[in-house]
Amino acid sequence: MKYSKLILLVSGVVFFSACTKLEEKFNSETTQGSSGGSGGGNAAALLQGAYRSLNNPYQDQSRWWAASEHSSDEAVGPTRGGDWDDNGAWRVYHNHRWTADHGWLTDTYRELLQAQFAATTVLDANPTPVQKGEARFLRAFTMWSVLDGWDQVPFRSTSLGDLTSTLPEVMKGTECADYLIAELNGAIPDLTAGNGIGRASKNAAKALLMKIYLNRGVYADRAAPTFAAADMNQVISLADQILADFPAYPGGFTANFFDNFTPNNDIIGKEIVYSLRNDNASGTGGNGAMFHYHAGTHYNQTPSGWNGFTTLGDFYDAFDPNDKRRGGGNAGPADFGYYPGFTNVTGMRVGMLFGQQKNGAGANLQDRKGNPLSFTKEVALKEAGGNLEVTGIRVVKYVQDQVHQFPADNDLVIFRLADILLMKAEAILRGGTATAGPGGYGATPAAIVNNIRTLPSRGLTALGTVDLNAVYKERGFELYWEGWRRNDMIRFGTFLNARQLKAATTPERLLYPIPNQQLTINPNLVQNPGY
Amino acid sequence: MFCQNLLKSAAVIVLLCISQLVMAQDRVVTGRVIDSKTNTGVPAVTITVKGARTGTQTASDGSFRISVGPSVNTLVFSSIGYATQEVDITGKSSIEVAFVISNAQLGEVVVTGYGTARKKDLTGSIASVKEKDFNKGVNTSPEQLIQGKVAGLQITNNNGSPGAAATIRIRGTGSVRSGNSPLIVVDGVPLEGGSGRPGLGLPGMGGTPGSNPLNFVNPADIESMDVLKDASAAAIYGSRGANGVILITTKKGKTGTPSIEFGYAFGTSNIANQIDILSGSEYVAALTKYGLPSTVSTQAVPTANYGGSVDAMDAIFRTGITQNVNLALSGGTETARQRVSVSFLNEKGIVEESQLKKYTIGYTGNFKFLESKKLGLDVNVNTAFIQEEIVPITNNAGFQGSLIGQALQWNPTHPFQKTDGSYWVEPQFGASSVNPLWMLQMYDDNVKTSQVWGYIAPYFRFTNELEYKFQYGRNQSDGSRTAMVGRGLLNINDVKDRGWASVSTAKVLVEQFTHTLSYNKQINPNFYLNAVIGYEYLNFENSNASETGQDFADLGIPYYNMLGYSTVSSRNIQHYESPTNELQSMFARANVNYKNKYLLTATVRRDGSTKFGENNKYAIFPSFSAAWVIGNEGFMQGIDFVQNLKLRAGWGQTGNQEFPSGASQTRYGVSGPGSITQQNVGNPDLKWETSTNLNIGLDFQLLKGLINVTADYFKKETKDVLFELDFPQPGASAAKQWKNLDALITNKGVELAVNASIIKKADFTWDLGVNGTWLENILEGLNGTYNTGGLSGQGSSGAYVQKLASNYPLNVFYTRIYQGIDKTTGQSIYLDDGDVLYYDEDPNPDFLLGASTELRYKKLTFTMNLNGAFGHYIFNETAMNVIPITNLGSRNVASSFINSEVREDLSNPITASTRFLEKGNFIKCQNARIAYSFGNVGKYFKNATVAITGQNLFTITDYSGFDPEVNVDKNIGGIPSYGIEYIPYPSARRFQISINFSL
Repeated sequence: MKYSKLILLVSGVVFFSACTKLEEKFNSETTQGSSGGSGGGNAAALLQGAYRSLNNPYQDQSRWWAASEHSSDEAVGPTRGGDWDDNGAWRVYHNHRWTADHGWLTDTYRELLQAQFAATTVLDANPTPVQKGEARFLRAFTMWSVLDGWDQVPFRSTSLGDLTSTLPEVMKGTECADYLIAELNGAIPDLTAGNGIGRASKNAAKALLMKIYLNRGVYADRAAPTFAAADMNQVISLADQILADFPAYPGGFTANFFDNFTPNNDIIGKEIVYSLRNDNASGTGGNGAMFHYHAGTHYNQTPSGWNGFTTLGDFYDAFDPNDKRRGGGNAGPADFGYYPGFTNVTGMRVGMLFGQQKNGAGANLQDRKGNPLSFTKEVALKEAGGNLEVTGIRVVKYVQDQVHQFPADNDLVIFRLADILLMKAEAILRGGTATAGPGGYGATPAAIVNNIRTLPSRGLTALGTVDLNAVYKERGFELYWEGWRRNDMIRFGTFLNARQLKAATTPERLLYPIPNQQLTINPNLVQNPGY
Repeated sequence: MFCQNLLKSAAVIVLLCISQLVMAQDRVVTGRVIDSKTNTGVPAVTITVKGARTGTQTASDGSFRISVGPSVNTLVFSSIGYATQEVDITGKSSIEVAFVISNAQLGEVVVTGYGTARKKDLTGSIASVKEKDFNKGVNTSPEQLIQGKVAGLQITNNNGSPGAAATIRIRGTGSVRSGNSPLIVVDGVPLEGGSGRPGLGLPGMGGTPGSNPLNFVNPADIESMDVLKDASAAAIYGSRGANGVILITTKKGKTGTPSIEFGYAFGTSNIANQIDILSGSEYVAALTKYGLPSTVSTQAVPTANYGGSVDAMDAIFRTGITQNVNLALSGGTETARQRVSVSFLNEKGIVEESQLKKYTIGYTGNFKFLESKKLGLDVNVNTAFIQEEIVPITNNAGFQGSLIGQALQWNPTHPFQKTDGSYWVEPQFGASSVNPLWMLQMYDDNVKTSQVWGYIAPYFRFTNELEYKFQYGRNQSDGSRTAMVGRGLLNINDVKDRGWASVSTAKVLVEQFTHTLSYNKQINPNFYLNAVIGYEYLNFENSNASETGQDFADLGIPYYNMLGYSTVSSRNIQHYESPTNELQSMFARANVNYKNKYLLTATVRRDGSTKFGENNKYAIFPSFSAAWVIGNEGFMQGIDFVQNLKLRAGWGQTGNQEFPSGASQTRYGVSGPGSITQQNVGNPDLKWETSTNLNIGLDFQLLKGLINVTADYFKKETKDVLFELDFPQPGASAAKQWKNLDALITNKGVELAVNASIIKKADFTWDLGVNGTWLENILEGLNGTYNTGGLSGQGSSGAYVQKLASNYPLNVFYTRIYQGIDKTTGQSIYLDDGDVLYYDEDPNPDFLLGASTELRYKKLTFTMNLNGAFGHYIFNETAMNVIPITNLGSRNVASSFINSEVREDLSNPITASTRFLEKGNFIKCQNARIAYSFGNVGKYFKNATVAITGQNLFTITDYSGFDPEVNVDKNIGGIPSYGIEYIPYPSARRFQISINFSL
């Protein structure tokens, strides 16, 4: 009896001390991302986070950029003996033997969709009109990349509510393109005017609209696209709207082609319509622009690189020898690739580095085995032999940042004046109605293309006739390694053709496979045909 | 929180203040029954009045209290395993009874978690290792004491650095993504939540391995370790018991004359095994063989022969020196026993500059109050301070390698220093190769970790049978780390001409409030009941902060002390404080012994956790087990060759809740300057994973107790497997979401432990113990596959060699199939051109072996312990990535590539394949010791012993890497890898002389 009282008492103690409700509270994080913060306080930080989420998929050398360049005739990542095997991932990018398990395609797809989600969280956080416009642009931009690469775009309209048991819907083809057109048109009134240097703007949205209209026929049928005149007229009209924000020809162009790619290209890169910000001072941006040149230059060059990516001899040879955009050289200050303030310090040229490379003192460099560091046109997917370190022409489109190597300050260029003009020329050739447009940049395809070619910064003579093929080639000379080649090659029907280090491939390669990672967890996705 | 704790404490005080409830009888006799050998209390001893049926029994510490009639003069003390004693109590009110063991095996008391049990009452699978059976030698952390000693327990030292972490598995790997380490409890205080030692990632060089979170426990303070292997034993730990539990019991003060115990050990250590790479002359020969220019290098004719002959591995290794001092003071009376211990360990590692210093002070007190001695108090406070000097050896170094890789790759013909004595910072054979000696000069990394843990536990005994105990335990660890890489380390990307420094701190706090009520009674001669109920609250907190910067100047100040000098854009700051993490539990256990033939144990625990999703806040874990002591049945009486035959069977469920706090909720957090991002999509259904265990065991003795055998069959099935699953995108930045999968992981196997006293004479004894474990592991029902075992180094971006996949063992190897070298091209041939990867071998051993033997002749004792693992494969990434054939002509190469029959082309790419999968079978001599016991020397020195101990004396294996006992962390996205070697800190062979005596 006495015991029972005691047990009662002890139970009482247990009962009293059982007062924790097991509530999980956060100290370094918040559950209030969307609803908290008056006046869009959280929306501003979430928007910054949405911009940041573009760094990986767009700036890393293995992601969207590689998917757009390594699969084309402009770039290849050869395996050099013990170097750059990387589970074969670079080789299959170039020879079109990628699978649904390709690690970097899987990462690219996922990261683009994550960036879409980050933009959606801004829209759910009571943004101001400008913030809303920017978030809608960022969301449309990432969705457009997914549409272009994979055709199937998983989409969540909100970041709120029970996401665990709801699957994202999947948009496809022209349906998705039309949605994006509506979204961008909705966003443009809210966006700031002019070009977007590191931040979305009206012109950034218009340039993206141009890309979508130009490729709308491609998204309907990639193997045999047809181009509607109405779409082409939209391209032309949007080009003219963007041109209105540039000074009259040739005032929109930089004196040196490579000024658009310098560490301070946010200031001197006049041709930029939209770029991703890389700025050490404010801690924004990724390593992107740096990775693109760093992955190619040799260990023994200054700055030292990773001795990987090259362009192909056939692509190099397609250039007119007088084309300053090809850069390179090893003679002296007269070289097209001699960039003052950089080459005289490091010995490195910009553009395409072919032949013997020099150091800052002008002496010939050697590779790690003592061979002359003289880059060759010949390159193989798997290099074997004594010269495996020097094969392939390297590309330094971005002038390396000598102040901050890791990360660099060069903003990553997405849209540029020349691209706008060449799209306009192409649209006219594909059935659009020619316009004079503002600034005297050219009323006909020939005038537009020749206005670019004959700039002192390009150094070429005018072409007699300009047809679609001429526009296609000019796009390569002008925009090489800027991440547009796969898109262009598909639109011009050359993507599957046999070329250097690649046999002809079948039409399923016009799309990337839906990564198995997402396919197994999202039943709304179906594998693209042929995979 | 404060209010809550206050409430708890107040309740305890109220309870303790209740006056005792004296039963009105004629005379009270109190006392304590102690083991004659160990001086520790013997619980559950039956005490009866001679000739009468009335009686009682001793409490968990051996104390008792009995009321007897005025005419009673003799009490009878009995317990299985001890000789029954009759004690005269005429005129006495307090007695102490020294109990003599009649059968050591059966008399043992085993710690079972929230209480103890007589070994004879056990129904579950518990292995108990006492101090005398511990591994000898330098043991920085306690689990090394029982490595190879317990069937089903696999302890793998991850690498050979002083204080390195170990991988501990009880009965295989039961979880995919959640932790696989057992719960470790010291004197009732759980050592969870990790250590306050900050981790560190180095620029361009990878992440440094973690240290062992148990390092702060002084192995010399440990009296016994009990391993709870099956669910019927571990279910009392509920949602944290799925990986088994290791209970550590520390030494307590002993009654009697105060004594001082002193021990000193001095040891040396050297690298146990070198990888076979080319020497200077072999290198020149290899150059010649491959037709590469091999005359001494000149400017005109560049060659890879620089005319010297150096051994870079020798240059960075040294003879390590270890010193260990232990001092313990112990003494007390029956009502106040105390022990103080102090230890100092200084371990200079085998790699130059690596060092670990450890200081510990421990105090433990056991007090009894009131005339009736019903109120007691146990106190324990331990502090440890560990100071480490770390060398740059990382888990995932890139192509420039960490220290070991740099030394392996160093061209053996190239001197380290120029003729003017300065170091070659950019060696001639490759400007991107790093000089390991210069690396050591330029790198500085110091960690200071202090840990304070202990408990205060008042208890009150209402009667001899019923006891209430409250324990407040606390484990707090604080660490700071300062590291720098000099700007003069020219040729490491990211650091070149800039320098790098980091200051980081971390804190971990675990608080525990436990109330238990235990009842222990021989209800009648046939029926014995041992029961406990309890309530427990645990609170875990951890936080960490770091600051890094770059662009320093050499001004005579360590960079980490001039962080303000760094450029603003290079700086990085962060501080993280974990979410609330609380666990609230109620538990109960009852153990019944009927006629010493039929035993039954039932356990239940209910755990609630802040981590669990809203919809699953509480979990219940039951277990039942029974044993039939066949040996005590009448029909066995005439049978002599088998004794104490006992059949055990148990079923139970345990849980695993090792996923990060915050996983069940939607969270937003900082993603950079001025920006936040949604980091997680909440999962309100998230809960623990559950392991269902079946265990059937058999214990028996042969040849009148000379041979003891324990055999167990177990099957552990884990369901609701916790996994960080890919989230259907678009989704938050985590990209994954913690979920409970439908997958099932099964571990099953058989354990056998045999201990034999082969010779048992007065002057000569020989004991032999062997244990073996057969293990099988399989994963089923996983949707999709997940990659892990990520490789590092040049040409291996994105490469991996392991997978989690249904119908395969966990971490099955998945890579290309290598078919040899093409004789004409010298290139590797792979099945399907290497475009297709295949499931290959299993990294999990099929069989674990442990063996120990002790030979004693008069005062001389020899002991030896072996352990081994069989049937598993190791991926030798060191051979693949660090010293491949492609290095020839610049850097060093493994001899095996040069000496192979088929000539391999120098451009043969580094590609992950089965070529680098090697059988991991090994038997290792963990330690051997010869000790001479002087006994008492002179008037003061007692039990003087001098011993010579060797550790890691030999390893029998075909594995070509440093040590087949290796596990470098190569996780991908948190999915653990298993069984990969990548340039680890190599293990050491040690010799040690030690002296011990007491005063």
